[in-house]
Amino acid sequence: MSYRIIDICNGCGACRRLCPVDAIRGEKNTLHAVVHDMCIECGACGRVCPVRAVTDPFGTVCTMLKKSEWERPHFDSKICMSCGICIDACPVHCLSLSGAASSNDPHGYPYMAEGKKCIGCGFCARECPVDAVTMVAP
Amino acid sequence: MGAKRLKAVVLDGKKRIGVHNRAEIKRLSQLCNKWVQFQPLFLPGSMAAYVGTLMRVLPTQMAMDGLLYKILLKKWGTGSMNQMSVEMGDSPIKNWKGSSEDWGITHSRSVNPDAIRKHEKVKYHCYACPLGCGGICAMQGKYGETHKPEYESVLALGGLLMNTDLESIFHLCEVLNRAGMDTISAGATVAFAIECYEAGILTKEDTDGLELTWGNSNAIIALIEKMVRREGIGDLLADGSKAAARKIGKNAGNYAMHAGGQELPMHDGRNDPGYGVHYAVEPAPGRHNVGAQMYYEMFQLWKVMKSLPRVKPLYFKGRKYVADEEKAAMAAACSKFMNVVNCAGLCMFGVFLGAKRIPAFDWLNAATGWHRPPEHYMEIGERIQTLKQAFNIRQGVDPRTFWPAGRVIGRPPQTKGANRGRSINMEKMISDYYTQFGWDPETGRPTEKTMARLGLGAGEDVV
Repeated sequence: MSYRIIDICNGCGACRRLCPVDAIRGEKNTLHAVVHDMCIECGACGRVCPVRAVTDPFGTVCTMLKKSEWERPHFDSKICMSCGICIDACPVHCLSLSGAASSNDPHGYPYMAEGKKCIGCGFCARECPVDAVTMVAP
Repeated sequence: MGAKRLKAVVLDGKKRIGVHNRAEIKRLSQLCNKWVQFQPLFLPGSMAAYVGTLMRVLPTQMAMDGLLYKILLKKWGTGSMNQMSVEMGDSPIKNWKGSSEDWGITHSRSVNPDAIRKHEKVKYHCYACPLGCGGICAMQGKYGETHKPEYESVLALGGLLMNTDLESIFHLCEVLNRAGMDTISAGATVAFAIECYEAGILTKEDTDGLELTWGNSNAIIALIEKMVRREGIGDLLADGSKAAARKIGKNAGNYAMHAGGQELPMHDGRNDPGYGVHYAVEPAPGRHNVGAQMYYEMFQLWKVMKSLPRVKPLYFKGRKYVADEEKAAMAAACSKFMNVVNCAGLCMFGVFLGAKRIPAFDWLNAATGWHRPPEHYMEIGERIQTLKQAFNIRQGVDPRTFWPAGRVIGRPPQTKGANRGRSINMEKMISDYYTQFGWDPETGRPTEKTMARLGLGAGEDVV
């Protein structure tokens, strides 16, 4: 199962440039294609396609969203146990671990270190074992 | 890996790893995490030593509950046990010939858990760990920062060498980590060299002018840095105490505390004979992270496998030294279980929580989609252990050469300290362990019947 690009693709290359695992191939102004074995189903391609040429693994056509409308992770440090799974799950490495929270709490907590890189995939929230990460629309 | 001059293997990938039932894994993780996050206020670190003293003088012992150890781990990390272990006789002192009478509370105070924690800037978690027993510490000198030294490193570079200079321990841990060298082996090899120097086998000419005396932290630092660079005496010692003893001759082997060439960790089999047995029976000898009687108590496997022996909550210490079938079953269970744990990528400190609190077998079922009982996974662990043993034998490695040095197993017994008068009936305990696995009780060779039962081929094909 993976995302697919259908034949209305105009070859603008927006999906190829954003794909975090280089799973999209195609020349400028020609039909692009997803390499199925490499696709991690982050959905970034679907969110940037201006001509609705991307379908998700269930065949549903994806809708373009402005980057400013993409969901972003919100971290609840009261629930978070500093395990770092969210940081490792992020395919674009936009999360990082802070220094010690305070003198009473020597643990570091995840935070959005490079917000511009975030593709809103939600892997961080899905992988969190204690549901301390939620995806929130801006 | 050492023989291949290989330091590490790094695997990387971008694909998400699929599991059969992610929701169930999450549910189990949340149940487990409640135990991990349970953290009542606890004693100050300075009290740990006196708890160890109390444990030393009492004739009885309480079965260890890993939840208690978890509380210590979460607060201080493995270093929580530094002083306690010295006091109770768990940590070897002065190349295994000393005791807390030689390195008492006034000495071990230098490596008190609070003394180390003062350096900690932030906690460090291994991948996906909710506990976070590690730490990043500030230190003096050119490196400025290092991972918090673990219990093994602190005692191998501290009590084993009678070294009370904590800064030197921080420095050496960083030097050894950067070189990809083991702190236990390095500390134990230096202890060997110091004792050789004390006995006149090594002289100041041999040591490039270093005064190798107990607790001489400057000389210890200089020697280990020479080992890292393979320079002068460092080149002689860099391959460990067994290889060095062979090159030195003059009965230097009497001072090399190893099992099958592996320097021994900071857990004394004379205090818990389970360690002594596992040092000798594991296909990779000298391991402290597989089994011990205390580990069996913490794993609490009998709560999910009724066929395994139960542990009494309170018992006389003398009971630990009785070699019987129950001890062998406990040791075999530890080996099998830890093979499963290691293959699953779990952590030994995690499974110390107890089988009912950390659902290792249920996690595996949720990940694979199997519905197998714990006994099935233990058989996988047994198969792994037997395969490792068969591999050694095929390569011409005789398991009987893994016996630890006599001093380590109480031959002769110590005359003072927590472990005075104690020795381990290794012959019977090893033979009983081999029998538990269906290996020849004398040679440790897996029998054809065992190989066939475990689906490992027809004996001779593999062994």
